[in-house]
Amino acid sequence: MLFAVLLPLILTLLIPFLSKVKDKVHTGIFVFFIPLGIFIFFVRFIGEGFSPELESYPWIPSLGISLDFYLDGLSLLFVLLISGIGALVTLYSIFYLHKSEKLAHFYVYLLLFMTAMLGVVLSDNVYVLYTFWELTSISSFLLIGYWNHREGSRYGAMKSMLITVFGGLSMLGAFMLLHVITGVTSVQQMIGSVDLILSSDYLPLILTLLLLGAFTKSAQFPFHIWLPDAMEAPTPVSAYLHSATMVKAGIFLVARFSPIFHGYEWFFIVVSGIGIITLCWASYMAVRQTDLKGILAFSTVSQLGMIMAMLGFGTEAAVFAAVFHILNHATFKGSLFMIAGIIDHESGTRDIRKLGGLMTLMPISATLALFASLSMAGVPLPFLNGFYSKELFFENSLHIGDTTLLIASVMKQAIPYLAVFGSIFTFVYSMYFLFGTFTGKQKLEQLPKKPHEAPIGMLIAPAILVFGVIFIGLFPNLFNETFLAHAAEAISGVKTHEHIVYWHGLKPAFYMSLIVVAFGTILYLFREKWWNIYKTIPGDLSFNRVYNRTLKGLDVYTSKLTKGYMNGSLRRYTALIISTIFIVTGLVMAGTNGFTFKTDDLAPITLPEIFVGIMVIAGAVGTILAKNNVAAIIILGVSGYGQALLFVFYRAPDLALTQLVIETITVALLLLCFHHLPQLSRRTEGTGFRLTNAVIAVGFGTLMTLIGISAHSSKWFATISDYFLETSHDLGGGDNVVNVILVDMRGLDTLFEITVLGIAAFSIYSLIKLRSKEGE
Amino acid sequence: MMSNLAVLPIIIPLVSGILLAFFHTKTPFVRHAAKLLSVISTGVAAYVFYYVVQNGTVTLETGGWEAPYGIVLVADLLAVTLVLTTNVIGLACVFYAPYSLTEQKERYYFYTFFFLLITGVSGAFLTGDLFNLFVFFEVLLMASYALITLGGEKVQLRESIKYVLVNLFSSIVFVTTVAFLYSVLGTVNMAQMAERVQEVEQQGILTTIGILLFFVFATKAALFPLYYWLPKPYTVPNPVVSAMFAALLTKVGVYSIIRMFTLVFIHDTTVTHELFIWIAGFTLVFGAIGALSTNNIKLVIAYNIIPAVGFMVMGIGIYNKTALSGSVYYMISDMIIKAALFLLAGAVAHIVGTSDLRKMKGLIHQLPLLGWLLFISAFVLAGVPPFSGFIGKLMIMQGGFADGEIAIVIIGLLSSLLILYSIMKIFVRGFWGEKDENIVIDRKTATALTWPVAFLVFLTVLLGIGAEIFYPVIDNISNQLMNPEIYIDSVFKE
Amino acid sequence: MEIIMSVVAGVLFAAGIYNLLQKQLLRIVIGTVILSNGAHLFILTMGKLKRGAPPVLEYGISDYADPLPQALILTSIVISFGLTSLLLVLSYRAAQENNTDNMEKLRGNHDE
Repeated sequence: MLFAVLLPLILTLLIPFLSKVKDKVHTGIFVFFIPLGIFIFFVRFIGEGFSPELESYPWIPSLGISLDFYLDGLSLLFVLLISGIGALVTLYSIFYLHKSEKLAHFYVYLLLFMTAMLGVVLSDNVYVLYTFWELTSISSFLLIGYWNHREGSRYGAMKSMLITVFGGLSMLGAFMLLHVITGVTSVQQMIGSVDLILSSDYLPLILTLLLLGAFTKSAQFPFHIWLPDAMEAPTPVSAYLHSATMVKAGIFLVARFSPIFHGYEWFFIVVSGIGIITLCWASYMAVRQTDLKGILAFSTVSQLGMIMAMLGFGTEAAVFAAVFHILNHATFKGSLFMIAGIIDHESGTRDIRKLGGLMTLMPISATLALFASLSMAGVPLPFLNGFYSKELFFENSLHIGDTTLLIASVMKQAIPYLAVFGSIFTFVYSMYFLFGTFTGKQKLEQLPKKPHEAPIGMLIAPAILVFGVIFIGLFPNLFNETFLAHAAEAISGVKTHEHIVYWHGLKPAFYMSLIVVAFGTILYLFREKWWNIYKTIPGDLSFNRVYNRTLKGLDVYTSKLTKGYMNGSLRRYTALIISTIFIVTGLVMAGTNGFTFKTDDLAPITLPEIFVGIMVIAGAVGTILAKNNVAAIIILGVSGYGQALLFVFYRAPDLALTQLVIETITVALLLLCFHHLPQLSRRTEGTGFRLTNAVIAVGFGTLMTLIGISAHSSKWFATISDYFLETSHDLGGGDNVVNVILVDMRGLDTLFEITVLGIAAFSIYSLIKLRSKEGE
Repeated sequence: MMSNLAVLPIIIPLVSGILLAFFHTKTPFVRHAAKLLSVISTGVAAYVFYYVVQNGTVTLETGGWEAPYGIVLVADLLAVTLVLTTNVIGLACVFYAPYSLTEQKERYYFYTFFFLLITGVSGAFLTGDLFNLFVFFEVLLMASYALITLGGEKVQLRESIKYVLVNLFSSIVFVTTVAFLYSVLGTVNMAQMAERVQEVEQQGILTTIGILLFFVFATKAALFPLYYWLPKPYTVPNPVVSAMFAALLTKVGVYSIIRMFTLVFIHDTTVTHELFIWIAGFTLVFGAIGALSTNNIKLVIAYNIIPAVGFMVMGIGIYNKTALSGSVYYMISDMIIKAALFLLAGAVAHIVGTSDLRKMKGLIHQLPLLGWLLFISAFVLAGVPPFSGFIGKLMIMQGGFADGEIAIVIIGLLSSLLILYSIMKIFVRGFWGEKDENIVIDRKTATALTWPVAFLVFLTVLLGIGAEIFYPVIDNISNQLMNPEIYIDSVFKE
Repeated sequence: MEIIMSVVAGVLFAAGIYNLLQKQLLRIVIGTVILSNGAHLFILTMGKLKRGAPPVLEYGISDYADPLPQALILTSIVISFGLTSLLLVLSYRAAQENNTDNMEKLRGNHDE
């Protein structure tokens, strides 16, 4: 399985070479064999005796990350969808994308996606699953942005990435929590520790984070907004990623983790609730679209909602129906996308208002669309697979398990009605798509190109899918035992399948179907009468606006906020930094009783020192008070010399000398520099300005004093200096201990102190010498 | 294990820097010599790293004065790993520099400052003495002042003065704090400090001094709310300088926090480390917001330094083995990717002639490799697997969840999204779109500027996919950090 | 006396910070000088003051002032000097290039 997953990735390395000959051989032809081969490899697993298989390869075992590929019924279903539809889409793309396009890019992204998607459905390790999950988002981003010279393309790509990566990160959060709680990283082992998870305090959080991942990926309400914009991608991509496979990753995720959560009532409430809302809202919105792919995008969203709802029901029969519909949806929606692509390709537009009457010009496409649309609408005809799964959906909406929470009970009552409501609009948009395009008046003058039937090669892929629609419709039970039952078993834990029959008596589900067809027909025929309702609902409300506003807001407000405090003012910066240090350190000091004060070990207070101390202080404060710059510099010198005197008092002759020299040079330098400055601004400061300065300065000074006093009052240990005094003469060979320390014991300090000076000297030299000319 | 090896990563760049100063007018020679010396320095760092992995911590009592009296260099695994990373980044920069700098800047001691910066950084990683750490801080800061002002352009001078002043202030507080600690503990040797802190009964004053010291390092590390000085000044010097700064300077701050708050100040983690988590949270949010606030691509990347530091400090705050492993891993990854991104943004700005995103479009047509490197970098930064950022973030966040720090992890996840958005904006707006015919590319320069970036990005990919190879080292590091007696014993029991 | 010296050093810090928060470059530079003086005074105070003779060994004297803080201050003074000189030249050049020595006029534009 490892090879199968990585095969597309490996081929990406060859694409640049293969695309060199694209004028002779369309690159897609090489690519086509990859998914086909994978399909053939996996199709042999279908059979009654199928049992799950696990293949394991170490990757980062220390972190519990290993490439565990687990093939059970659920992943088999998805693998076959990915490879099967993948092969058909590649075939279709060979005719759809002209050789002049950047084929290498397209197929690299597409193959990247195949690997990613296969990885998602086969990985048993949550972190590997997450890795591939994000890779699907990335490849989807690149594919939507394939024609990135278009503004819409860039917008759609960014939108899809932000929303799906947001979900991915949430999902990662859920995975980490699950890992921390259970101590394992394998999904199957997590399922084994279900009790630990259900009894955890974090259960609601885990469920929320996990479902955010699933709902964003599967475009569930209100995260569905990225999918319509993803239609900017080339149509093969829409058919493949944004209908048949990637958007079902969220479904897959919910299905995969169902065994853990299905006993938890909130799982039903959220998954079914969101699913059914998505179904209704998206099918309602689909009717309003004018772009063929827009209709299909909303249709996809709504169908995903329906599958999601069924997974939420959680009964064995509902799970089976969900699995069945995953398969059916892939067939009819895939073919419809391809037909929409054909129409676009041949007529130059996808705007349904400009289309019409194409039946005579494109008879084969029209026929294919007919079957696929009717199947999508769930019309009760015995050869349409869509009807069977729709009927199962109705049936199961009436048989949801027991509920205890009030909200769950209310939902249980409401769901059948909502199911019918959503399905009515499903019927309407299916008819709208079909008849709006192929019947009615031809408006050829509005079309950029004169439409004609597509080349035969382009029709092969949709034809195969429509064949699938009818074939499954005719023999709905053919795959039950060997295939679908295994998938259902992986989700619900019980090997179950329904025997699907066309006619099972005058049961409620049948009446529901009848209502759908009757009301759907009426609504479609009289659509002009009620279309104004879209002006009220949703009217101007839309989640797109929320998204756009958010992004715009992010741009504007981050900029406002940041510019607000990052205003370039040094004073502001230092004030904030010093205040922060002062406040937090002060609080910590107060909170930990950090202040100590002891008077038993102090030097005696003598007058000369006090006098000099006052001189130092006066000098320092004097620099503030002095209006004149030169005066301020001189006063600074006074303070510095005072300090030198203090050093003398305190038995530090070397220090005193150094301080004297350095203070003198500093003052001289200051005078020199500021004498040469062309113009000096006058000091103009308000009282507020000075007060702020004073508060911060006094605050910080006090803090330092308090810490200093406490530190001095807390001398708990003998200092290492005694050692220096003892050994200076014998080991250091010098009597001036300070000098010995500097050149010997702490010689490294001195070496690098000189280095600092050296760098300063070089830097000053280059500062003075190297002056940029303007514009350099 | 006592060995002179510990001092080599400091001495070699020091000597290199001094040597190159002599030949500063002979630019072509200096260029090649710098490359050679950088290779040698990296090679030695690699050897020291290898040696320490094999034989455990190497210490050196300088001048033969026994610890804790003399200055001791402690090449433990964390230090040598960071030294090696530093040198590798230096290597990429030294190959990038000739194409990015004007010859004049090269002549005015660029390479000298460059090697002395590495000296200071390596010294800061290796020293086991707090005052000596201050001295090495000054070395690297002085070198950074020299580098940031090199060229003397108007904007450069304006911004660098802010940079210098804020750092100067924190240095002064640093040296005062060392004095306070000396008073309380009677020593400046870090291992001895660690021993003595555990013996103190009344620890309030130590916690206070510890927090003060934390703020000193937090200012260098650019944590909330002390990072004001960072974003703008980092955009004004040459990209190669910015890259060194972004990769090394803030990380020295983070390293110092890790060192002091896993070795010395671990007596009251409910105060100190809990505070770190809060600060990390704000750092993540405000840094990410900053990254979204501008159209200047260099500034976007400069702001991105901040949330990354937030992540590292979050791991320190969580303070368990998993989270610390994550912090260290993320730090190494981030050093490399930040250098790469600054070099990349610099290359783009150099080639296109502006760093204003609004004036760029369709660059992917002219600079495909740079574009894709930026694309990958975005995912490295955001922590998307299989790149290195993921491994670090994963461990930090796992550690957070394991300790019940839910809120901070969620903030971390959300900030990752914003970070991704901030870089993808550059990709989508600058690299996608119609080709801009006005931009003329000098192929040779473009290629020369691209390879160092590619090299660094490749490393982060390797660190991600090959995490298993590096994990034992990281595991060992966090083991040493969680057990400070290992460090103490290596200093005293020889 | 140590208490008083701590207060003096604290006042130096306060005065330094006040200057640091001024608009005019010269005052800011003066502020940094005062700040480092304050720091050095703190270092000295943190050893004990006036206990014994200057740390130059002489026969018969057994009490000396703590030599380590003095050594640290010496290192620090020299470093501060280097920094101050660089800062001075930098301020001079910055003021010259930008034609003002008012830091509030040197804010710059966020997006440039």
